[in-house]
Amino acid sequence: MNLVADTWFQIQRHIRTQFRMPVWIFVNLFQPIVWLVLFTQVFKSLSDMPGLGGTSYLQFFAPGVVVMTVMFGSAWAGMGMLHDIDMGILSKMLATPATRGSIIMSRVIASMVMLIVQALIIFTIAVIMGVDLATGVPGVLLTILLVSMLGLGFAAFSNGLALLLRREEPLIGVITFATLPIMFLSSTMMPADLLPGWLDTVRHFNPVDYAVVGVRGLVMDGYIWSDLWRSLVVLFGWAALGTAFGTMMFRAKAE
Amino acid sequence: MSVIVTHHLTKVFPGGVRAVDGIDFEVNAGEIFGFLGPNGAGKTTTIKMLNTLIEPTSGTAVVAGFDICKNPAEVRKRIGYVAQDVGVDERATGRENLTLYGHFYRLDSKTIKKRVKEIFELVDLAGYEDKIVSTYSGGMRKRLDIAMGLIHRPEVIFLDEPTAGLDPQTRVRIWDYIRNLAKAMGVTIFLTTHYMEEADHLADRIAIIDLGKIITMGTPDELKQSISGDVVTLSLLTAEDDDHNELMRRTESALSAEPFVIGTQAVGDKLAVYVDNGESAVPSIMRLLAGQGIEVETISMARPSLDDVFLKYTGRTIRAEEGTATTFAQIRRKRIRRQQ
Repeated sequence: MNLVADTWFQIQRHIRTQFRMPVWIFVNLFQPIVWLVLFTQVFKSLSDMPGLGGTSYLQFFAPGVVVMTVMFGSAWAGMGMLHDIDMGILSKMLATPATRGSIIMSRVIASMVMLIVQALIIFTIAVIMGVDLATGVPGVLLTILLVSMLGLGFAAFSNGLALLLRREEPLIGVITFATLPIMFLSSTMMPADLLPGWLDTVRHFNPVDYAVVGVRGLVMDGYIWSDLWRSLVVLFGWAALGTAFGTMMFRAKAE
Repeated sequence: MSVIVTHHLTKVFPGGVRAVDGIDFEVNAGEIFGFLGPNGAGKTTTIKMLNTLIEPTSGTAVVAGFDICKNPAEVRKRIGYVAQDVGVDERATGRENLTLYGHFYRLDSKTIKKRVKEIFELVDLAGYEDKIVSTYSGGMRKRLDIAMGLIHRPEVIFLDEPTAGLDPQTRVRIWDYIRNLAKAMGVTIFLTTHYMEEADHLADRIAIIDLGKIITMGTPDELKQSISGDVVTLSLLTAEDDDHNELMRRTESALSAEPFVIGTQAVGDKLAVYVDNGESAVPSIMRLLAGQGIEVETISMARPSLDDVFLKYTGRTIRAEEGTATTFAQIRRKRIRRQQ
């Protein structure tokens, strides 16, 4: 019970903090919109290519934007933890009876809440721009489940890394270094059929690809349960792995 | 009754550094106990062990009736911790900061509300409850920081370098608040500091720690009386083209060679000379320096201070190490703030 209460009070703190930074909110809402508009312009002629089967690039790419937004957003989640370490907030908290698990859990869940709101906004804009959601509202809910698992894994890893590295420079370095390749080593930007053979193999080890495949199926094709189940299982595994890493680092490194 | 009792408390960090080396001491209920030592002496490591933030390598301590190793959860309920870095959330209001901590200590919302009012008055922050902390001054933040350690009415509160990095005026005000707390709440205070004046002004009893060991312990007066002898402070008359530092060095080496001089120490542009007997030393010093062609501008004699106590027991001055640490902490804090 204490764990739930402590987590709840800290989630409030984290979300309140974010809403007190209007610029941050603005940037986070507009970035995915920029992606939707800009990328679909850049890759407009791709609509004619065989892998897309005649659908617009927007229809193909919109699920990718949802996944990308969640991945980038959650990958930076550790910066907040680092701030608390730097400002002495973490060690002060650790000297109170606050449950240990709540400190990292509240951060991860707060990131999720913000990202789910973003994902919903992207869907709304995508629909306004002409994207046709094959599975409608239930599909959006399933999408939320998929990307939440993806984001939870990334946010937990990011928090774990913050505790391990303890400084901004290396953390920023690792996140920047990792996120772009992770995105490109998937079928986020390109249909899988058009990827070179080695990349098509590599993407099967990338949680982002499972999220993209799952969400894209829901948006473009309807319920392809074989793909969906695989995505769900892999992403649950990814979330569990991230949580295990984050918790381990917290136990080992949060003095 | 003792609120803190340590038994051979030891912390060895990976790499073999014995940060705290088998210390034993007791802190009585209701007293202000000062832990005085230079940076790196083991003060913060000790406080972190007593706060259950790190585990001792060997030995243990009983804090507020519970063993820090066997029962850390019970210890945490009964202590307040105010770290050297101001651990407040600058992007939240004072009330939000305090309320979160109230919840951590399992207080109900009504009690929290009542205590927030009380505590804000106690640390003279009434009216600022709902202002964002980033608008607070440094001294106000420190007061809020201390307030956060009090919301659950702990039996003992740990203050780690409570005035490090604050300007002298703010420092004196924080001292007042700390003294008020001890009186108003009857709380036992364990405080670490590397400021002699702070320990001297605040603490009922002082332990001097250096290189992980307690060197001596007692009331400020007892410690000062433990040094026999006096301190003679002199300033030198420097002609305009003379090099003052060079002159100080010459004076120091000339005096150090004398049997009646226990030690010398530069204090700003003055020189402190520790001697067995000040009354007979003053004429001797004057004669000696005159013989060397060194002119003395002023000379005075006093009983030893805590600085002198520290010098006697460690052979070093605590002041030499003061500047750098503060500066680094300030740079880091500024850097963090800039990035927000």
